[in-house]
Formats: sequence, structure tokens, C-alpha cells
Amino acid sequence: MLMGSVHHEPAGEPTFEAMIQIDMEIKTFVSAWKHCDYVSTYMARMISQNRSDSVRHSNLFSSAFNELLEVAFRTRHTDGELACRVSRHGATDRIELTFPCVPEERQFYQEAVSQVAGFEARERYLNSVSGDLAPSREVVLLELAVDYNATLRVEEAEGDAVKLVVDLPLEGLQH
Amino acid sequence: MSPYNLLPRFKAQYDANNQEFSISGVVRPQAIDELGPSLALLRDAIGRVRGVLYVNVRRLTQMNNAAFHAFSRIIIDACRARPDLRFVVITSSVVGWTSRKFGRLSGIEPNITVEEYDSEFYPGQGFLEEGGFVPILRTQTKMTWRHERTILPRHGMRPGIVMADICCGLGDFVVLVQKEFQPSRIVALDHSISSLDYARRVMREFDIRGIEYTYGDASEMLLDEAQFDLVTCRHSLQIFNRPELILKELYRICKPGGRVYITNEKNSHCLGEPRAESIRWTYNEVAKLFAHFEMDVELGPKSRRYLIEAGFEDIRVETFMVTNLDGDPQDFADVIVAWADVYAGDMATRRGDGPEFIARFRQGFQDHIFAALHPKGYAGWPIWVASGRRPQ
Repeated sequence: MLMGSVHHEPAGEPTFEAMIQIDMEIKTFVSAWKHCDYVSTYMARMISQNRSDSVRHSNLFSSAFNELLEVAFRTRHTDGELACRVSRHGATDRIELTFPCVPEERQFYQEAVSQVAGFEARERYLNSVSGDLAPSREVVLLELAVDYNATLRVEEAEGDAVKLVVDLPLEGLQH
Repeated sequence: MSPYNLLPRFKAQYDANNQEFSISGVVRPQAIDELGPSLALLRDAIGRVRGVLYVNVRRLTQMNNAAFHAFSRIIIDACRARPDLRFVVITSSVVGWTSRKFGRLSGIEPNITVEEYDSEFYPGQGFLEEGGFVPILRTQTKMTWRHERTILPRHGMRPGIVMADICCGLGDFVVLVQKEFQPSRIVALDHSISSLDYARRVMREFDIRGIEYTYGDASEMLLDEAQFDLVTCRHSLQIFNRPELILKELYRICKPGGRVYITNEKNSHCLGEPRAESIRWTYNEVAKLFAHFEMDVELGPKSRRYLIEAGFEDIRVETFMVTNLDGDPQDFADVIVAWADVYAGDMATRRGDGPEFIARFRQGFQDHIFAALHPKGYAGWPIWVASGRRPQ
């Protein structure tokens, strides 16, 4: 676990200060579904203490983060590490979730995230809610953008892994 | 106890009387099968109702997308199969994501409306929260603090504890507590956004740290259970129409072995000399006025009963009298002026009281002020303090 160090971003990017990081073997993580709930709840509490409304912030953050962890839980790659890092810049909290995946999945995430940025994201999200199919991983990412005003991107990760970077401006969502 | 050990972590219920399906807790299933009984209950409820079905998610703290989709599908399908049926989803402004997430449903089916339960938290309290009452609330806290700072240690207050102040209002009590007793953590909750804004502003200006102000409904809090050594709730049970609901929540968040501390008034026992009769008459009328708006400002001596009935043990009760002899008598007089403005003003008018009654009603307050400022006078405002221990 890492708390309190400073992480410098490339030029032009705001500096996000690292707050907490949890790493675990993906095998361990996917051994129990409740790990998504444990990790999201624990990290939400840790990083929300100094927000203007810690309880509300923690609830919102856990809600969004759990969805991401559930996405990672469904990876088809069973070797390697899951890394969850949260950093902060002002009112925005950044989740960097790195987890092993097969090349097709990485491609899928890249496409899904590029579509999240589209102006019709809300329409597609509504269509998915009223549709017959259970929510796909793409819909989960869409929902983060629609309901939490999240911005998402995919970054390169070493080896067979993908890194989802999600910025959550939850302070702005309060009340 | 870890909340993760509390299985099942969610509960679905159907109340036929109110045509209300409610789901509460943390709903994060891996597979929809885990929701089978709850989904069946919702389908069954839809089959039974006519007109409108209320879907209450006020106490739903978490729900993943898989579960949201499963419940939403049933509601959306029902809208399409039965155009005669309306759904009203009741969310809470306290749980930040619910109104946004469930709010999307009304964009899909016009027969679904989403209402945020908020302004009706506490009927009647609006009188006490509007505008000019802020300085008076601060003065009241200053006056009661002179007594409570010596009383609190007898009710579980000590350095290093984890405490919550529920219905914290402007937060001035917890600031005083922090300075005097240095708890390790203070969570202060209130349902008034403007009061919390004020409290946070004070915290920033005075560089106060270690107090977490949070927005919430005292009768349905997001706070986890069994996490506080001491839970305080001052002058608040008396202005809820159902104090037992609040006490149930105070009990829930208190650690086993920890204590819940409440203060309340018995307004009809406010007193003064000279002009005792007029003062007594007016404060008897104050109690009746509050009762009209479903608030019991006579609750003080009932505290013991409420605590016993809520399951507490080792109940301790004591009283103190705030008087004009505590500090500056003008502070006491200022408080009465503010009471008169609200009670003989907006409240009496809204009850429909006539000018004759209001004139006599107001006179009692003026006589109380007279007693407070009289060089030989005495004016008092009695407070009941009570606390109980949550059994181990």
C-alpha cells in the first residue's frame, strides 16, 4: 500500500497526488466476488476522509469503483497482478486500474473507451438499460461517464495487461 | 463486527397497505440468480397493485449495474405490459448516486417518476432553520456548553474516543467538544445543507481539523453500524415526529458498550420571577404549539423511557438549568427574543391563532426577558440530559 507520495504527470497534465495503492495477484482477486466490494469500500473510506462530505463521497466513490473492479474481475487472463491506485488533483480523484487481460480484451477496452467519449453516450446507455441483455463491460464504462461525469482512457501497460484510467470529479457531484 | 459478516446484506420487502416495494442495503450480486427471491417479490407486487407502485430505494446504499438492470427490466416491462400502472421511485438525496441512476428510468418510460425524498425529512423544522436563527443557535450552544462540559464526562465523553454528533446543526457543539476533549475522530451529521455549509466555513476559517461534516437523514443514516464510542444527539429528538426511529439509528451506529447521549427540553418548565404566572402560561402554550406541528418539546423527562424502549442499559439522567445568571443576562434575553419571533410569529400565524391570543402569548416572552434582565430577577430554561449504554 502506498500513501502520501507524489506522482508527477507528463508535461501539460495536472499533477495528481498519489493517495493509496493496493496490489494483489489476479488469481487471489478473482477467487471471490466479494473482493470487489471489499476493495472498493475500503479504498473509498480511506480516500474520502478529507473530502467535504466524507460519508457521501465514500458512498459515491465506492459505487463507481466497484463497477470497475467488477470489470477487472471478468478478465479472461488468469496470471499477473491487479493494481489499484488512487490519486487526487483538486476535486478530481483518479483511479488507475491495471489488470491482466488477453490481447482481444485490450482491443475491446480501447474501443469501448473511445465510444464512451462520444456525444451519444447517454442515448446508448439508456438503450442498454431498456434492452434485454445484462449490462456488458462497455455499458458499465458508459454508465461511469453518464452518471458520475467520469472521463476514461486506456493507457499502455507492461505485458499482457491493460490500464484503465478513470477521472471522477465526485466533489462536483455533491448535492 | 465487520459489516461483511452481516449476511444477507440487503433486504427486499413489499408493503401491501402502501403499495410499496422497498429494497435496502448493499446489492452487489455476481449473478442475477442471487436476486431470485427479491425479483420474484417485485413481480408479485406488480401483479397485485392497481394504480401506482412505490419503489422505495431510500435505504439502498449500493447496487451494482447487474442488479440495477435486473430490477429496472422488470419495471420497464411492466410499464409496457400495463400502461395503467405508474411507478414512483423514491430515492434519497443522501445517497448520491441513486437519484442520478434511477432518474434515467423516467427518460425511458413516462410512467416512471423518480422523487427524491428530502424536504419532508422532518415536518415542522423549517420554522427553526430559516435565516435569522443562526446567531441564536450559537448563543444557545454557548449557554448550554457551560453546563455540558462538566456533564459530558459522566456520560462517556473522554479523550481519544470516536464520536458522532447527529443533527449537529451549525457544528458549534462539536467544535467545543474537540477543543475540550480531543476525541480521535468526530463525524457530525445534519440534514440541513445550509447549516453544514456554515459549519464547514467555520472549520476552514478557524483552521479546525478532524471533524467530518456529512449530510444525512438521522432516521436513515449511511454510517456503518457499531462504529462510535459516543453518539450525541442534542435538542433534536424533541423536534422529530417519530423520535424512536432516530434512537434506533443512534443505537445502530453506537458500538456495543458505547453510549448514546441525548438532550431535550420540557418547555412548559421554563420559568422566571417576577411575572411568573404570565411566563408559565406562555410556555405551556409553547408546548401545545409545537405539539400542533408534531413536535414534542416536553420530551425531556421522557428520555429515560425512550432509551429503555430502544434497548439501552445503564441509563443515566440528569437536568440542568440555563439561567440569566450564566454569563451575560443579555444572552439569555436575546434567546427569548428569537423564540418569541418564531413561536409568536410564523408558527402561531400558521396555526391560525388570532391577534388576541398572539398578544398574550408574546407578553409571556416579554415577561421572561423582563425577569432575565431585572436586577433581582431570575429566569430559567431547563434541559434534560440522558444517556444509555448499548449492551455488549
